[in-house]
Amino acid sequence: MDHHQRWHPTVNEREFIERALQSDLRVDGRRPFDFRRLKILFGREDGSAEVQLGDTRVMGYATAQLVQPYKDRPNEGTLAIFTEFSPMADPAFEPGRPGESAIELGRVVDRGLRESRAVDMESLCVVAGKHVWSVRVDLHILDNGGNLIDAANIAALAALSTFRRPECTVGGEDGQQVTVHDPEVRDPLPLTIHHLPIAVTFAYFGEGNIMVIDPTYKEEAVMGGRMTATINSNGDVCSIQKAGGEGVMSSVIMQCLRIASVKAADITSKIKNEVNSYTSAKALQKVKRLPASALKKDNAPDVAMKESSDGALETQSTKPSSDGQQIDKEPPSVVEDNKQEDVEPMLSECNPEAQSESRLTAGGSDETQEAISPKSLKDAVKPKHKIKKKQHSKS
Amino acid sequence: MESRKPPPSALVDNHVVPGDVVLDLTEMTNQTIKLGAGLRQDCDTIQATSAGRLRLSKPNKYWVESSQKRYIPSVEDTVLGVVVDTKPDNFLVDIKGPNLAFLPVLAFEGGTRRNIPKFEIGTLIYARVVKANSIMNPELSCMDATGKAAEFGQLKDGYMFDTSTGLSRMLLSSPTCPVLEALGKKLSFEIAVGLNGRVWVNAPSPSNVIVVSNAIIKSESLSGIGQRSMVESLLERLS
Repeated sequence: MDHHQRWHPTVNEREFIERALQSDLRVDGRRPFDFRRLKILFGREDGSAEVQLGDTRVMGYATAQLVQPYKDRPNEGTLAIFTEFSPMADPAFEPGRPGESAIELGRVVDRGLRESRAVDMESLCVVAGKHVWSVRVDLHILDNGGNLIDAANIAALAALSTFRRPECTVGGEDGQQVTVHDPEVRDPLPLTIHHLPIAVTFAYFGEGNIMVIDPTYKEEAVMGGRMTATINSNGDVCSIQKAGGEGVMSSVIMQCLRIASVKAADITSKIKNEVNSYTSAKALQKVKRLPASALKKDNAPDVAMKESSDGALETQSTKPSSDGQQIDKEPPSVVEDNKQEDVEPMLSECNPEAQSESRLTAGGSDETQEAISPKSLKDAVKPKHKIKKKQHSKS
Repeated sequence: MESRKPPPSALVDNHVVPGDVVLDLTEMTNQTIKLGAGLRQDCDTIQATSAGRLRLSKPNKYWVESSQKRYIPSVEDTVLGVVVDTKPDNFLVDIKGPNLAFLPVLAFEGGTRRNIPKFEIGTLIYARVVKANSIMNPELSCMDATGKAAEFGQLKDGYMFDTSTGLSRMLLSSPTCPVLEALGKKLSFEIAVGLNGRVWVNAPSPSNVIVVSNAIIKSESLSGIGQRSMVESLLERLS
């Protein structure tokens, strides 16, 4: 049965959508130049984002690996976009081979990002001509509610904005040995993104006289033509895609570009806000996890500290719970007393590990400095002797 | 049949998931129960095979009511179908089911070989399911059981949109569901609801059609009070 291959609107829908548009009405209650509600969610890992644009859902996932650069650009990394149209998103999508729309979507997103040099490629170079980072963005279409290009483009930008690549250093005898550092040891680095090229799609109806922004699935089935302008918040046009369909006057295109630049600014700020709140939330999470590595840095001066803070220690040991097990049970009440102490239970747990680790990593001292830096102010204020106390009482 | 009544299942009107044991037959001998959609017998137990709410029609009919996008045809359902092809004997109609449905060209009031209706592809039709089983294409009819056209047939103008089967069942429930009642007080519109999760709305002005259709789509997850207040706020914005 091939009736699922492509969805056809009924005569009623086709006529109604066009008739309503004549009086600037859209079937979902939007005005012609309104975007649907945009929602950006981030995954647990860096570099994954899910974008919801009305009913449309797209997931972007950025990854990187070290590869040999192209011969003609020995000191530039690479960026590639891959698309995945799952039949779950729309019965018209066939599994396996990418359809025409999958290729177009990938190309438009790719062109917008690459031709405008939005991602700094030279900073992805490790050893010129030998090793560069190759960044790959996978775009999974999860649900097709129309206007996949804009949603996929935003997903790609959100994924790239939160993506972190492992830090690596060059060393060895010939200066060509690349060491990739574990993310736990050295904080991964974000990509350098100069600007965010935003795709804004226009749909044309009725000999190109009527245009709307961000068409839905139904509007896409009825529209006469479509144009996607990729534009950044400064108003630089990064690419335009107009594949067939109704012809459009150049004046209309100029008008579209003006509208698109306004929309691009809105969406850019939305993406930046979401990315910022994600990164700050992530940084806060890290603070809780860090103590293990933070501790090992403090180890050397520890002894001195312990001795000096002996007075404080004694006050603690007067508490009935001097034994390690009881300390573990204690935390809930402690947390209520003093927020700063809520790190403690974890500290006492990770302690043995942290110590052994610190011995393993020889060049520990300056690493610790780096690791501490992203911590919040709150953490910096935390009285160090408290950490030591626990350690001491346990050992 | 003995006089003692079968104890109704403890799960009636509760949510069940596939595998839930709804009834234990060992405790009920000499009784007849009738199973509807989403239930099956497994030895001495009746188990749910789909997720949804277990319903009981007194005294002994059980079925599982669920809300989904795909429609499973069943006899006597009224549906909204879209003509996707015409054959000499049948129109092929998409009713959102696993198979296309057949609408015989003679299944219209007073239908003869001479006056076969002309439906172009994409025509919206309000029809009744007369045959439904899993191995054959379902069959529709545009007549009621007595051979009258009733309300069935082509729907002209207006706007059709898709809902879940649960929402369309809610719209058809009686007493009239709050969203339609609240809309009906302020606006005049025509509506046709198909149990296959399609709703057709028509009104003189396009803006009314849009308000009604959006109110219906939004009402799916709202309570009765929520539906009324949502309709009120929508109508306020309109005026």
